[in-house]
Amino acid sequence: MKQHNCQNNDRLAVKMRSTNMSKRLRIVLAKVGLDGHDRGIKVVARALRDAGMEVIYAGLWQTPESVVRTVADEDADWLGLSILSGAHMTLVPRIMTLLREAGLEDVGVIVGGIIPESDYPKLKELGVARVFGPGTPMDEIVRFLRQHPRSHSSAEGAGKE
Amino acid sequence: MSDSLLQLIDRYRNKDRRALSRLLTLAARGEHLSEILAAASVPQSKRIPVVTLTGSAGVGKSTLTGKLIELLRRKDKRVAVLACDPQSPLSGGALLGDRFRMPTTPDEGVFIRSLSSAGGRGAIAEHLPVLLKLLAGFGFDVILLETVGAGQGDTVVRDIADVVVFLVQPETGDDLQWEKAGLLEVCDIVVIHKSDLPGAEHAEAQLRSMLELSSGPIPVILRVSSKTGSGMEELWQAIERAADSEHVRRDAGRELLRQVQEFLSARFVQLEEDAALQQLVADWKAGEVDLNDAARRLVDLLLTAGANPRSSP
Ligand SMILES: Nc1nc2c(ncn2[C@@H]2O[C@H](COP(=O)(O)OP(=O)(O)OP(=O)(O)O)[C@@H](O)[C@H]2O)c(=O)[nH]1
Ligand SMILES: [Mg+2]
Repeated sequence: MKQHNCQNNDRLAVKMRSTNMSKRLRIVLAKVGLDGHDRGIKVVARALRDAGMEVIYAGLWQTPESVVRTVADEDADWLGLSILSGAHMTLVPRIMTLLREAGLEDVGVIVGGIIPESDYPKLKELGVARVFGPGTPMDEIVRFLRQHPRSHSSAEGAGKE
Repeated sequence: MSDSLLQLIDRYRNKDRRALSRLLTLAARGEHLSEILAAASVPQSKRIPVVTLTGSAGVGKSTLTGKLIELLRRKDKRVAVLACDPQSPLSGGALLGDRFRMPTTPDEGVFIRSLSSAGGRGAIAEHLPVLLKLLAGFGFDVILLETVGAGQGDTVVRDIADVVVFLVQPETGDDLQWEKAGLLEVCDIVVIHKSDLPGAEHAEAQLRSMLELSSGPIPVILRVSSKTGSGMEELWQAIERAADSEHVRRDAGRELLRQVQEFLSARFVQLEEDAALQQLVADWKAGEVDLNDAARRLVDLLLTAGANPRSSP
């Protein structure tokens, strides 16, 4: 009986701890554009999950509109885009505009894929937090996301649309 | 209550989708549960059926949910989906991949939220009753709930749903594992999914003969393929019928009890830092009070502690 109590008690402790720790980063990962390669984004998805984040995998062939809707409905802190098709200079501006229109300017955006370095500054100017080139170590992405926490999804940050 | 929470609730009541989304996040984290529950508890003119889809990993729950969304949109019904995927026990993170199988075109009549569900807590996310209330109060006509794949034998879903749909698929080999599934006893509908694959008819025959031996009510059995669309309309009709009869059968007392449980959990989270509560937990841990006593004292405490249970912690 005593033992039983202790066990329950531990579970209670775990529950109390987990409610305190439950502000997990939520990140939507999506591939926009027409290419069908999802290996890279799946590797990132797994790495971020293993780093304790909630990864919403939206998958391939997303449009800017569907990505933004997903970010809104999932109340994500971050949006990670993978673009291999070379269309980043049309897709990213469109997505940034739609995010703003939806009142989602607080959502952090990172971009990965095959992006010429000469375009990095342009993407940053559009509001992209960081561009990760091919072969970026997963640790680096994890560290970046952790060091740049978004705060929008608390009740406090919720009224300012 | 903080201004921003009040604003959020106000916006939710005015059918602001972003506010719904934010409140779902707060509720899923267990924050401001009692305020949110109060805000979402608007009287409904009709019942909003909660339909649970459950079954082993890979049986096609997300794909079928996606097909049901399409079917319901053709009938002009607004659909909300809660899709649960397992939380990694090691990192606490989760890979939420269900919506990937559902329609992606933005549609005002469709709302999909992915949730992580911790192991050992059943096949669904925490605070689910509050999340469901939020969606029902927002004006959706149907709520679909996908459980995590590992839910065999897990019957928690019965308490939460109006209709439980249990998916199985034609297995390779004769050795069916369905006997293990306690869900067969509590579900309303068994879907033999992926009926485009060989063995579906055989699986149905086997299932029927097995269920005939059981004493309980026999669920509806349907063969459905998300791939070909065959059986989809029949499935929806069966769901509607089950929802109607569940409505008649449902024990209102139990529903009230569930609401009380949710209130108490919310209070517990609110009072986590309360000295008296921590003392009680410590006493129990030290073995100084027995479980019954501790539980009774906890209920007293949850009802009386703190100045005003409606104010934010
Ligand atoms: N042949 C056939 N395959 C299907 C059908 N429906 C789904 N599938 C396939 O089954 C696999 C799993 O489908 P999901 O919808 O992800 O299954 P799930 O039950 O949601 O999986 P978890 O969420 O991981 O538990 C996918 O490869 C689908 O393409 C169907 O009707 N027929
Ligand atoms: Mg699924």
